[in-house]
Amino acid sequence: MSELSLTGVRKSFGSTHVLHGIDLHVAHGEFVVFVGPSGCGKSTLLRVIAGLEEVTDGAVAIDGTDVTGLPASERGLAMVFQSYALYPHMSVYKNMAFALENMGLPRDEIDKRVRRAAGMLQLTDYLERKPRALSGGQRQRVAIGRAIVRDPKIFLFDEPLSNLDAELRVATRKELAGLHAELGGTMIYVTHDQVEAMTLADRIVVLQAGKIEQVGTPLELYNRPDNLFVAGFIGSPRMNLLPGTVARPGIVTVGDGGHEIACETATLASGAPVTLGVRPEHLSLSESQGLPLAIELVERLGGESYLYGASPGLPQIPAFLGTARSSRTSREAAQLRDPS
Amino acid sequence: MASAEPAAPRGESSGAARLFAAPLSLLMRMIDWPMSALQRLIGERRMAYAFLLPNIVFFGLFVFLPLIINVVFSVTGGTALFPSQRPYVGGEQYAYLFDCGSFLDPNSCREDHFWRGVSNTARFTVFQVTAMVLFSLVTAVVLNMKIKARGFFRAVYFFPVLLSPVVVALTWKWILQRDGLLNAGITALGGERILFLVDPSWAMFWIVFVSVWAHMGFYTLILLAGLQAIPADLYEAAEMDATPRWRVFWRITLPLLWPNMIVVIVLALIKGVQTFDEVFVLTGGGPGTATLMVVHYIYETAFSNQVQNFGLAAAASVVLGLVLFALTLAQLAASNRKGAA
Repeated sequence: MSELSLTGVRKSFGSTHVLHGIDLHVAHGEFVVFVGPSGCGKSTLLRVIAGLEEVTDGAVAIDGTDVTGLPASERGLAMVFQSYALYPHMSVYKNMAFALENMGLPRDEIDKRVRRAAGMLQLTDYLERKPRALSGGQRQRVAIGRAIVRDPKIFLFDEPLSNLDAELRVATRKELAGLHAELGGTMIYVTHDQVEAMTLADRIVVLQAGKIEQVGTPLELYNRPDNLFVAGFIGSPRMNLLPGTVARPGIVTVGDGGHEIACETATLASGAPVTLGVRPEHLSLSESQGLPLAIELVERLGGESYLYGASPGLPQIPAFLGTARSSRTSREAAQLRDPS
Repeated sequence: MASAEPAAPRGESSGAARLFAAPLSLLMRMIDWPMSALQRLIGERRMAYAFLLPNIVFFGLFVFLPLIINVVFSVTGGTALFPSQRPYVGGEQYAYLFDCGSFLDPNSCREDHFWRGVSNTARFTVFQVTAMVLFSLVTAVVLNMKIKARGFFRAVYFFPVLLSPVVVALTWKWILQRDGLLNAGITALGGERILFLVDPSWAMFWIVFVSVWAHMGFYTLILLAGLQAIPADLYEAAEMDATPRWRVFWRITLPLLWPNMIVVIVLALIKGVQTFDEVFVLTGGGPGTATLMVVHYIYETAFSNQVQNFGLAAAASVVLGLVLFALTLAQLAASNRKGAA
């Protein structure tokens, strides 16, 4: 278990600047998830931590020791790759034992560690198989096992579940959460899937265009996003971001009809443009009052339903309908009410 | 059969394209009616054979027929050229070839030149294949690294493959002969002239060297393709696993490159056994019979000796052909295993 500090980390590939001064501290035993859209630099940041990419500027420290100049092999970290990166010509056992052989451990110690990890990951029956004879989920578990046996300072995961089907992804996600609880190691996990981020993370780091937008616990990010990007990125369906104008203190108008919504306007002057953020689950249907909405689509997901509606001058508005609305959403128009 | 006109080209190139398309279109129209008539006659399904026929005729005339004639020659005797004038002798030519006191001592054989050729070819092949695989591997590994001017070096190492073997041999002869470039350099530095192509050990060394130089690019290319097919993340995983570089090569690169290595070894073996032109031009099989290869022996026996012994040469060809057939089967098996891997 170790801690990690990044100070002013920058990374450029030629004239392309990928990371623009990242400052971050990851505490002992913490599960931190880097999340962001494709190309935001999250995988590059992970590779910089791993030592697979050199930093252009800034410093990386593990347990207070500067490792910026150290190669990956000397940092004592383990990484689980998106593609698994299993050695195809070696058996599951050999794949897991390879790093331990490099460390020069005695044969019985290697055997003990491999079998313990295989037991944890339910791989005991597959130790003699080659990776090509395993399913995607089993391969992923071997890749995780290869990391576990080394007892690394920090576990790094680069989108490890992205090649699995939806069902297996949920199952493996749970296994990973269980593994973190069991091992207690410091883990850094990269994903573009916010559900993975929300369910696994102690803290989430939201990245965009090579910069950290916000760092916080999943609920902090969900309930108190620092900016529009985080507000729009975290949550599915995404938060409604409605452009409006402060009409008077405590009242904002939105849409072409100038519909008035009561909300805190703090020190904003009348006439100031604002963006109103409302989560889909914070809207409810009303018979008579609220924002008039033309219904475009109703998604019934079984356990829950969402309504997608349009109002003049506003982007499409998703609203959570709960579970008992199926008969009433066949109407062509509804009124939406913000319960707050 | 419908005639197809090329699609009308767009933009600036339309004039030039039309220029080329016009004769093509005319040709298509000319062959349209006979092909249509043929299709009506033999049916659509049999048309494939009509398209295959020209190549099959050429293959039959220039490959299959000579193969049969060669076997016929090997079981006939005399000096006549036409098979009909040659008396049948059964396995006599083969018996003559294999009439040896000891197969390890060419001098104990009645046809000692053949066995000297076999011995030289075997030695040459062993040295050449070993050197070829080693140098190709090292070159491919270096050319796969992120070095400056990598494209230039890849081209440089492949360039000799494009040269005619005779050009290669003549160039090296100019360098290695008694008053050649290399000896000029040695004498300029105050050294003694070395008779590279006259001394038997030097002659064997140089034919191996020249052969490796001339063909290495091809095998390097095969190995380079194999190296590039190894996913980069395996090396990153190995780096994360703190694997020393020699161990990465030994435990990851080499096993994953092994299918390509087998192809290289078998192809180099086949090519080595067939060696003729470079050695013929460079040393003429000499000094004495020090670099006489099997193919050279066959050529001399059939065409260059005073008594042209077609039957004996044909029998030696059949023996050589069987060896090559076995090596080709090995290559096919290796390729199939690679495909299955």
